[in-house]
Amino acid sequence: METSNVAIQQQVADNTSQDVSKGRKIVRPPTLRIIPPLNFCPVERQLYRSGQPSIINQSFLQQLNLKVILWLASEEPLDDFLEFCNDSNIKIEFVGLIDETYGHGQMNPWDSLNEGTIKKALELIVNKDNYPLLVCCGMGRHRTGTVIGCLRRLQGWNLASVSEEYRRFTGARGGRILVELLIESFDINSVSIDPERLPEWLK
Amino acid sequence: MNYDEPFQMDEELPGQDNVVIPSQSLSDDITPRYTDPTSSIYYDHQLIRSKLAHLRLDTGNNTTTEDESVDEVNKSGKNQYDEDIDDNLDLKLQSKLNQEYHAKYDTFDVLTQPLAPPENFAPVINKIYRSSFPQPNNFSFLKKLKLKSIFCLIPEEYPELQAEFLKHENIKLFQLGMSGNKEPFVKISSELITEAIKVVIDPANHPILIHCNRGKHRTGCLVGVLRRLQKWSLTIIFDEYRKFAAPKERPMDQQFIELYDETEIIKYAEENNLLPLAWE
Repeated sequence: METSNVAIQQQVADNTSQDVSKGRKIVRPPTLRIIPPLNFCPVERQLYRSGQPSIINQSFLQQLNLKVILWLASEEPLDDFLEFCNDSNIKIEFVGLIDETYGHGQMNPWDSLNEGTIKKALELIVNKDNYPLLVCCGMGRHRTGTVIGCLRRLQGWNLASVSEEYRRFTGARGGRILVELLIESFDINSVSIDPERLPEWLK
Repeated sequence: MNYDEPFQMDEELPGQDNVVIPSQSLSDDITPRYTDPTSSIYYDHQLIRSKLAHLRLDTGNNTTTEDESVDEVNKSGKNQYDEDIDDNLDLKLQSKLNQEYHAKYDTFDVLTQPLAPPENFAPVINKIYRSSFPQPNNFSFLKKLKLKSIFCLIPEEYPELQAEFLKHENIKLFQLGMSGNKEPFVKISSELITEAIKVVIDPANHPILIHCNRGKHRTGCLVGVLRRLQKWSLTIIFDEYRKFAAPKERPMDQQFIELYDETEIIKYAEENNLLPLAWE
């Protein structure tokens, strides 16, 4: 009698028939484990960066109370993710998709972002109405790194520190010179800014 | 970056009972060294020493003074381990920078452009930041953070110039003298980390900057423990640790983060309503 109770509880907890047959006892409830997405990092207050979140990151994302997600990859996000954003009332801004409107000749997923796309992304970032805001692309490395790098220049950071931050998130294969050239040459004065809508830390 | 090496966990893990707990009350020692903004910075002569310093004090002859033991830590670090240069603050360089700064400026109201963050700077959560040891060219950047406190994890005396800067900016300094994990002898003390976390998660001290010398190992361990309080998965905690410690990731630091017993800090944090650490 008692054994069968244990078995039922276990099935609820583990959901695997194999463990039930072994009849192991449950000694404590499963621990809550929060899993931030790949390459997650806070950038400034209520501004975050990461790679593409998956289903395992949802409880973490809920903690951030996001209002907008800035999607920089050239591909559409996974359906799970779109559904999650829809259910959580998070608006997704697509700026990096291969598209006539934003494309300006951008052809391949591995091409860097172009200046028009970076400008559009930054204009969303300098508007506090979009916060809390998550900036992400597929891996959270190069496209996210490009936009955050340009934001750092807008904040007046020196280029070496911008590069250090970019490379912290690029993984074993290191940074791309083309991305860094893009960050260096991006014309920060081309970004239109509404002083009324600037986040506190950018003033 | 080589991701294989840091995971070769060949080192035998020293038993927890090796840890020497300082006999004096830790909470007394961690009181801010700088309390009155109008007077000069007070140096706390009762710095909490790292385990190595304690071991030396305990096992060696009792005539060893505190300052000598710190020198010994510096010396042994420089002579024996290449990578451990990172653990020690170059005091000669700091005093040279001090002279250079005063030769150039007579005030801290200088705004240098472009803004230079200290190496390894990043926000941790809300108004908690991390970095390496701030240098004079980082002062303008630090001002923008409007810091209320700085938490420093080095055993060396806080350099004069930076101390003057903190006084000028009315920033409270907490210093916990701690040496890094140097295999196989020195071990970061859990007790010290617990005391550090108590200060760091207290909103009364925010915005706060946590730093050691390079912002890799000691700071990485402290941030790792903070992430555990946030219930982050260990894999992600290690990944974050390695991003900042690269290319000098230490397996022992990651072991420390994993094996740290959070019972006491969780009890303290719950009693003081400091948990959960929510994203604001």
